[in-house]
Parts: sequence; C-alpha cells; structure tokens
Amino acid sequence: METFILIGITGIGLGALYFLVASGLSLIYGLMGVLNFAHGSFLSVGAFVGYWLARNLGPETSMSEFILAMIIGGLAAGAFALLVEQLLITRLYDRHIDQALVTVGVSLVVGALLGGWFTNDLQIFPTPLWFYTAVNVGGAMIPADRVVYIATAVLLLIANWALLKFTRIGLIIRAGVENRHMVNALGVNVRLAFSTVFFLGGFAAGVGGVLVSVYSNGVSPLIAGTYLIYGFIVVVIGGMGSVPGSFIAAMLIGVIRQFANYYVTGLGDFVVVILLAGVLLIRPQGLLGKARA
Amino acid sequence: MLRWKYSRPLLALLLIVLAIAPMFTSLPLGKPGLQQTMAVAFIWGALALTYDLLFGFTGLLSFGHALYFATGVYVSCILINHDVVSWWLAALIAIASSGLLAALVGAASLRTTGITFAMVTLAFGEAGHVIVGKNFFNLTGGENGIALNAERIPQFWIGVFNTKYIYWTALLALIITYLVIWWVTESSAGKVFAALRDNEQRVQVLGLNTQRFKLLSFVISGTLAGMLGFVMLIAAGSAAPRFAESTVTIALLLMVVIGGAVTRWGAVLGGIFYSIASTRMQDLTQQESFASIPKWIGGPIAEPALLLGIIFIFIVMFAPGGLSGAYYRLRLRALTRKSS
Repeated sequence: METFILIGITGIGLGALYFLVASGLSLIYGLMGVLNFAHGSFLSVGAFVGYWLARNLGPETSMSEFILAMIIGGLAAGAFALLVEQLLITRLYDRHIDQALVTVGVSLVVGALLGGWFTNDLQIFPTPLWFYTAVNVGGAMIPADRVVYIATAVLLLIANWALLKFTRIGLIIRAGVENRHMVNALGVNVRLAFSTVFFLGGFAAGVGGVLVSVYSNGVSPLIAGTYLIYGFIVVVIGGMGSVPGSFIAAMLIGVIRQFANYYVTGLGDFVVVILLAGVLLIRPQGLLGKARA
Repeated sequence: MLRWKYSRPLLALLLIVLAIAPMFTSLPLGKPGLQQTMAVAFIWGALALTYDLLFGFTGLLSFGHALYFATGVYVSCILINHDVVSWWLAALIAIASSGLLAALVGAASLRTTGITFAMVTLAFGEAGHVIVGKNFFNLTGGENGIALNAERIPQFWIGVFNTKYIYWTALLALIITYLVIWWVTESSAGKVFAALRDNEQRVQVLGLNTQRFKLLSFVISGTLAGMLGFVMLIAAGSAAPRFAESTVTIALLLMVVIGGAVTRWGAVLGGIFYSIASTRMQDLTQQESFASIPKWIGGPIAEPALLLGIIFIFIVMFAPGGLSGAYYRLRLRALTRKSS
C-alpha cells in the first residue's frame, strides 16, 4: 500500500510538471491555432533565469528565496513569450504552418544561446534543504519536492480557472477559443487576448522550468525538449484549448507512466504513446476537446 | 512551373563531374575527408527530398520522419550484426520494415489533420527514440548505439581508402531517391497529393479517398527514408540514437524550408548545404583564431543551430520559397523584362 501511494503521488507530481508546460500550449493552440515549438525555450528561459537568481542570492537557498526565483523565472519567461509573440507570431497572422516553423527557429536559437553561455552539461540547481526531506502521507514517505510541484500546479489551475471565469479578458479568451473570427467580427480586441495567453503560457512554462530543474537535479538547455513533447501529448489527449482537460490528461499520464516504469523500467514512455494512439482512434478530439467542424 | 531549357544537360554534366571527381586524387574530392563529408551530405539531401514529398508536395507537416530513417538504420544493422541474413537481404527487410511502420503509424495519425497531425507524429517519433535508447533485449545498444560489424558487409565499403565507394553509394542513393520522387510527383497520384495540399475538401468532393492518397505519400516517403537509413549505416558505420531524435526531423524541415519546398532540387540543395554547414562550422570553431573571440559571443556561435536557426527564421518571415523560390522569382523577373 505504501509503495502504491508513493508511486501514485510521485506520478501526480510528474503530471503537475507536465501540466505547467501543457496549460500554455493548450490555450495558445486553442485561441490562436499556433503550434508553439518555442514553448520548450520558454521553459528553458525560466529555468536559467531562476537558476541565475538562486545562485546569486547566497550560498543557501531558503524556501522564500526559491519561491522568488520561481516567480522571477516565470515572469522572465512570460516576458520572453510576449516578445516572441509580438516580434514574430503576430506578423504571420493566420499563416499557421509558418507560425509553427518560426517557433521551431526560436527554439533552435534559444537552445544555441543557452548552450553557448551555460554549456549543455547539467548544473546543480540550488534548492532549499526542505526539498530533500520526506512528508508522511498514509504511511508512505513522499519526497517533499513532489508536494511543491503538485501545490504549484493546483494553484496555477485555480488561478487560470478564476481568470478565465471572472475577468473580462478571460471571457474574451474563452469566446476566442470557441470562435475567434466571430469575436473579431464583433469588434472585440482579440490581439490583447493573444498577448495575455502568450504571457500566461510563458509564465506557467517558466515556473515549470524552475521546478523541472529541481526534478532533473539541475539546469540544462537539453531538458526542455522532453517536456515539450510530453506537453504536446498531454494537450492532444486532454483536448486542444481545454485547460481542465490538460490537467486531467497530465495527471493521468504522470501516474500511468510512473506505474509502468515501476513494473518494467522504460515501459512508461511506450505505454504513454499507446495511450495516445488509443485516444486518437476512439476520441480524436481528446478527452475534453470539442469536435471541430 | 518555369523550366529552363538548359537545366537538364547542365544537371547531367554536374552529375558526371560529381561521379568521376573522386577518381582524381589531386582534386579536393579525391581526398577521403571531403568524400565522407559529401557522402553524408548527399544522404541528407536525399532525406530532405523524401521530407519534401510529405511537407512540400502533400502538405503533411510530420514531425516524426526520423522514425522511418532510424528504422532503416537499426533494422539493417541488427540483422547484419547478428548474421541473420546476408547484407543485401537485411537492407531489403529494413526498407520493408520502414514502409510497414509508416503504414501503421500513418493509418493512426492521419486520422488527425494539420497541427494535431504534427503533434501526433512527433509523439510517435519520440517513442521510437525512447525505444532505441532503452536497449530492449540487448538489441539496440541503448544510448551508445551499436557499431556495424564490418566483416559482414562487402569489403569495398570498408577502410579510409575505400571512402570513394561510400561516396558513390550515397550519390547513387540520392539519384534513386530523386528519380522515384520525380516519378511519383509527376504521376497522377502526385497531382492528387498537390491537390490535397491546396484544397482537401475539393478533392473529397471529387470523390477521391483522401485518406488513402495521404497514406500513400506517407508510406512512399517512409520507405525511401528507410533505404537512406541503410546507406547512412554504411556511411556512419554505426547505428546511434541520434538518428532517431526529433531533432533529425526538425533539421529536415529546416533543410526543405531553406532550400525551398516543392521544387525537388531545392530540398536536395538545402539538405546538402545544411549538412556541410553544420560539420564545417564545428571545424571552424575549433581553430585557434576562434579562441580570441569573447566567450559570450563565441560560445553561442560554436553551436551550428544558432546561425541555421536565424537563417531559418529569416526565410520563413521574409523569403518564403527559400533558395529555389528566390531563384525562380529572379528568372521570372528576367523573363518578363525580356518580353516587355
């Protein structure tokens, strides 16, 4: 039973990391139809800014310093995402393939810059000592960092939901996901919604980047690629444009992957792809996605 | 499309020069080093062309093309090393496996379209990368890959002095790929591919089975990629997980966009350029004069992805059509000026 809880919660912790990447991808795709390959570079930017800050704040990182690094990393990634959107994406309005291509270019350039400045080797991310302790959940000793991942993901999910539900910009985003051209035709400024979504997606990815660096025991420009691919899988399974769908899919994938890996090492990734193929065959629009005409 | 009446004789001449140049040791192409670089560049050029069939001609943005290439590399290497069948049969089985895998993955992922299709093929391709990296049944050698057992392939492919045979093999593979894709794209099926890219609904209204034609394009492209995988195995001498990475597909996309899609020769040129540029750039940055450049500039420049990425963004933003597109625009301008 303890092992069961341990693997389950570790899986949810991993799912939380996937969700942080996928939530932005899903909204960006749902609202603008942009397949954002630069999302991995948002994650890297967040991770490296957070790393740089945590390193310069002093030898021992306290919990509050870590949270500060996480927020600043998220803001930097959000600002970078905004820059990419304003400088490149908006100029290719409605040319979806070209938009995807340009984001591929961005991810290459960012990867090369970070690799050139910081090298591609893994560098230890300074983490608070509390992360290395364990929390007792139903008799199972859960590594404390997992709790942080889950708490952050849930917090962002709630913030996301509140923003989409209760604010005017949230209303525009939701309407835009339903039918962007209609919103535009009604004279609502969708451009602002685009920028908001890019900033928020970048912020979540940046925060995710800091947490991913803790999970992977260090920062490296090479880490982002794996999470980007998992982010895509989560978005497809959860349904494009649906944040709750991404959340459910991310948790599902994290847990399934962890259990499969527990029984047979390396089986996890394979099972996830089988799951993806199954979902596509039975429900091509994803779990909570709406079928498109 | 514009055709230049001298283009074919010139192309034939270029091919003859490329084919006989390695025989003269005084020429740069007589040296094994350049022969190896060019052989690898030819393979990339051909692979970019198979990707152009998907992306340029049929309008399918696949991010999992590396899967079929890597299948060709790994299946032939495993069969040859374990002495299951002779090398040529191993190559044929590898090509067939790539085609079969493309049929299976294509059938599942072509249920989606556009951007979702891109994501799904990416996921399948990445699964392939994970599988070869995990060393199941001790077959793929995990992260280190497997070295090809040189005793089980013809001896003219072995050794530095025989590099010219690898060069010729790669050139032959490029020519075969070019001819097959030329034949396919000029055939009536090829016309349907182009129609699918331009207006899928219209093709459907005409009563054609769009899924079947997309799958045909996907399988032809995958099968050719499998063949090139075998040739890459001969040229590289080993099967490694880097052939299965999603970065391979992204590199192919860059090659096609830089060279220009739908012109065939554009993709080949883009592939050759990309391959040479990334190997030469690494050589260049290892020179002494490079060390004098401050690290914050020199570090990123040493990564070939920086320059290629910037060129790529520039072409997507400002020069869609790439090198070959720019060439045709210039010719069109020259022709209209003459006629007016």
